[in-house]
Amino acid sequence: MKRLTKALAVFSMVGGALFGTQALAEPFKIGICYDLSKAYTFATPQVSQAAMDLAKLINMKGGIGGEPVEVIVRDHGNEPQRGIECYSKLSREGVFVFDTLSTPVSLAILPRAMEDGRILMQSLVGRGDAVDGTVFEWVYPIGPTYWGQAANDVAYIKQLHDGDLSDVKVGFVYFDYPFGQEPIEILKTLSEKEGFKLELYPVPLPGSDQAGVWSKVRRDNPDHVIVWMLGGAHVVASKEMQRNRIPMDKYISVNWLNEVDIANIGDEAAKGIKRGTNVVGGQDVALYQEIMTELYDKGEGSGPIEKTQDVFYNTGLAMYSIMFEAARKAAELEGLPITAKSYKAGLESLEGFDANGLMAPITVTAEDHGGGGKTRIEMWDGETWVPQTDWISEYTDVVWDVVKESSSQYEQ
Amino acid sequence: MFYRLSGVHHADYVSDSRIFKVPADRNLTAFIFLIGLAAPFIIPSLYLNSYLLPWLIWTAAALGLNLVTGWAGQLHLGYAAVMAVGAYSAIHAARFGVPWEFALIIGGLTSSVIGSLFAFAALRVKGLYLALTTLAMQFVMDWVLTHSPAISGGSHASLQSPTLALLGQEITTDTGFYYVAFGWCVLVTIFMLNLKRTGLGRALVAVREKDFAAAILGVNSFYYKILAFATSSFIAGVSGALLVATFFFLAAPEQFSVAVSIQVLAMVIVGGLGSIIGSYFGVALILLVPGIVNGLVVTLSDGLGMQIDVETLAHIPNAVYGALIVIILLIEPLGLGKLYGNIRDYLMVWPFDQFKK
Repeated sequence: MKRLTKALAVFSMVGGALFGTQALAEPFKIGICYDLSKAYTFATPQVSQAAMDLAKLINMKGGIGGEPVEVIVRDHGNEPQRGIECYSKLSREGVFVFDTLSTPVSLAILPRAMEDGRILMQSLVGRGDAVDGTVFEWVYPIGPTYWGQAANDVAYIKQLHDGDLSDVKVGFVYFDYPFGQEPIEILKTLSEKEGFKLELYPVPLPGSDQAGVWSKVRRDNPDHVIVWMLGGAHVVASKEMQRNRIPMDKYISVNWLNEVDIANIGDEAAKGIKRGTNVVGGQDVALYQEIMTELYDKGEGSGPIEKTQDVFYNTGLAMYSIMFEAARKAAELEGLPITAKSYKAGLESLEGFDANGLMAPITVTAEDHGGGGKTRIEMWDGETWVPQTDWISEYTDVVWDVVKESSSQYEQ
Repeated sequence: MFYRLSGVHHADYVSDSRIFKVPADRNLTAFIFLIGLAAPFIIPSLYLNSYLLPWLIWTAAALGLNLVTGWAGQLHLGYAAVMAVGAYSAIHAARFGVPWEFALIIGGLTSSVIGSLFAFAALRVKGLYLALTTLAMQFVMDWVLTHSPAISGGSHASLQSPTLALLGQEITTDTGFYYVAFGWCVLVTIFMLNLKRTGLGRALVAVREKDFAAAILGVNSFYYKILAFATSSFIAGVSGALLVATFFFLAAPEQFSVAVSIQVLAMVIVGGLGSIIGSYFGVALILLVPGIVNGLVVTLSDGLGMQIDVETLAHIPNAVYGALIVIILLIEPLGLGKLYGNIRDYLMVWPFDQFKK
C-alpha cells in the first residue's frame, strides 16, 4: 500500500511536471517540522507517531476524496533557522499545511506563512493571540491557548467552592520564561474580578531545583496550585510537595503532564493530581481502538505500541484528526485538488467537531481560529484519569480582551 | 603550477603589507565575489534563502567574535546577548520611525556601548574567569528579555520587525535580502582583511600572545581589549539586527539564547581562531551541515526503502555531525581555516618543492 502510494505520488509529480496539468492531483500533504532531537522530545515522538498512524488509517480507507494523504516528518532540532529551512523546502514540494510543535520555530515561520499564504497550525504552542483570525489570517492555534486554559482552571476552582472565591487563595507555580509567564496577566485579571488571592511562585529553568518554591507554598498554604511546567519538573514538584506535606490534590497542571510523568512520580503517589486537557486521556477512545485493530494488531503501526499509551499520542490524534477533517471538508466544499485557500475554508467550516469523542468539540470560524478553547479538568485516581468537569470554556470575554490587546500590537 | 609562484618573497615593505600576497588568492577571491554577486541568478531560491543568506549573516557575526576571541584572545561566551542588544534596539528604533540605515547604526552602537561597558567590568579578570563573566552577561540579557515585555514585545516575547528599507528602497524580495546580507558580509570581511595589516591588528595579536609582554612593549592592553570588545560588539549588533530584518522577520529571545552563544563560539573554533576564511567554513559546518546531513539521511533511508522511525532518523544526523566536529578538530586543531591553509601551502609551489625531498 505504502509503495503504491509512493509510486502514485511520484507518478503524479512526474506527470504534473511534464504536462503542467492540474488534473493529476498530488496527495494532500502535511509538513511536520518537529523538534525530534532537543527540547520538545517529551511529546514530539508520540504526536508524530499519531500523525503517521492516522494518515495510514485514512489511506486504508481510500484517502480524502479518493486521493491519498501524506505526512512528511522532519527534524528541526528546535532551531528557528532549521525550522525555516524545513518550511521553505517543503513549501517548494507543494506542502501548504505546516505544524511545528515548537514555540520558537512557530514564531520564526509565522511571518513567512502569513506572507506566503500557507496554513500554519500551531496547537498548544506559539503565540496565543494568533487565535484572532482577523489579524492572523493563516495561523490556526486550534485547541486551548494558555490563557484560556488558565481561565478554565479558575472556573473549575470556582465550581469546587460553590461559586464563591472571595476567601480562596490560589498559587501559581510557573517556569520563569514566556511559556510560564503567559497566564499571569489573565490570572491577575480574574483574581480582581473574582476576589481570590493570587500568589506567584516563579521556578527558574530547568526546574530541577524547586525546594525554595514549595516551602514557600507550604507557608502561604494556598487552597489550589496551578502549575505551568513540563516533563521532569512535575516529578521534582511532587517530591517537594511530599516533603512539605502538601496534598497532591491541590495540584492542577497545564496540559503538559503525561503518563511518563505519572509513572516517574509513582502511580500511588500521584493520586489526586489534576491536569487541564483538551483531549480524552486513556485508551478507551473509538479512534484509538480503530487504529489498534487496523494497524497495530496487524503489525503495521508507525512505532512502538508503548508510545501510543500516552496522552500526548491522543493529543496528536486530536490535532491531526482536525487537520484531515478540514481537508475532507475542503474537498467537499471546493473539490480537488485542495489548495491553501480551500483548506482554509475547510478549517473554518468545522463545527462541533470532536473526532468521535476524542476531544473537546471545536468550532472554528474566520474570527476565532482557536476553535473555542474548551478544556476539562481530569484527576489521576491511581489507575486512570477521571474527568472532573465537562468541556468548558469560561471567562471568554476576559481571554479575548487579552487576545485583542496583544494581537493589535502585531499589526503595528 | 596552480599558483604560478616559486614562493612568497618580499622585496619591500609595501609588498609585505599587501592584503593578498599571492596573486592567485586575489583572483580566487575576486572570482568568489563575482559568484556571490551573481548568486541570485544562478542559485535556486530555496538555497539562496535558507542556506546562503543565513550563512553570510552568521559569517559576519562570527568574524566579529573572531576579532575578540581569535585576534585579541579574549574568550567571549555572551556573544548572542550582544547580538540581541543590537537586534532589539535596531527594531525598536525602526518601529519608532527611524530610517533603517540609522536604525542599524543605532543597533550597532547600542551593542557597542553595552558590550564595552560590560567589558570594563569583565576585563578585570582574565582567561576562564573572563569567559564565565561574559556567560553571566548572557544570562543577564536572557533574564532582561524574558522579564521586560516592553523590550521583547508583549507577553509572547516576540517583536515584529518592520519592512526593511535601505536608501529609500523597500526590500521585500529574496534577492533583495540576499544582497543586503552579502553587502554586510563583504564589508565585515574587508574590514577584517585590513585589520591584519594595521597597527591595531598587530596590537591585538600582541595582547593575545601575552598581555603583560604587550604592556612592556608599550601596548596598553586594557585599552586594546576594550577596543576589541567595542568593535566586535558593533559587528554583532548590526549582524543581529540584519538577521532579524532579513531572515527571521521577528525577534524572539530563543534566537539569542545561551545555546546560540556557544554555537557562534563553536563556529569560530571549528573554523579556526584568527582565520577569516576559516570563519566562513566554520559557520557553514556548524550552521548548515546539520540540516544538510538531515536531508541526506532522510533521502538515503527513503531511497533504500528502510523503515527507520522518525526519532532515530532525527538522531543519526546529530551523531554524524558531532563525529564530524571531533574528526576535524583531531585532524587539525587549528580548525578548517588551517586545513585549507595546509592544502594551499602544499600546492603553492607544487610540484617543484617535491624535488627537495
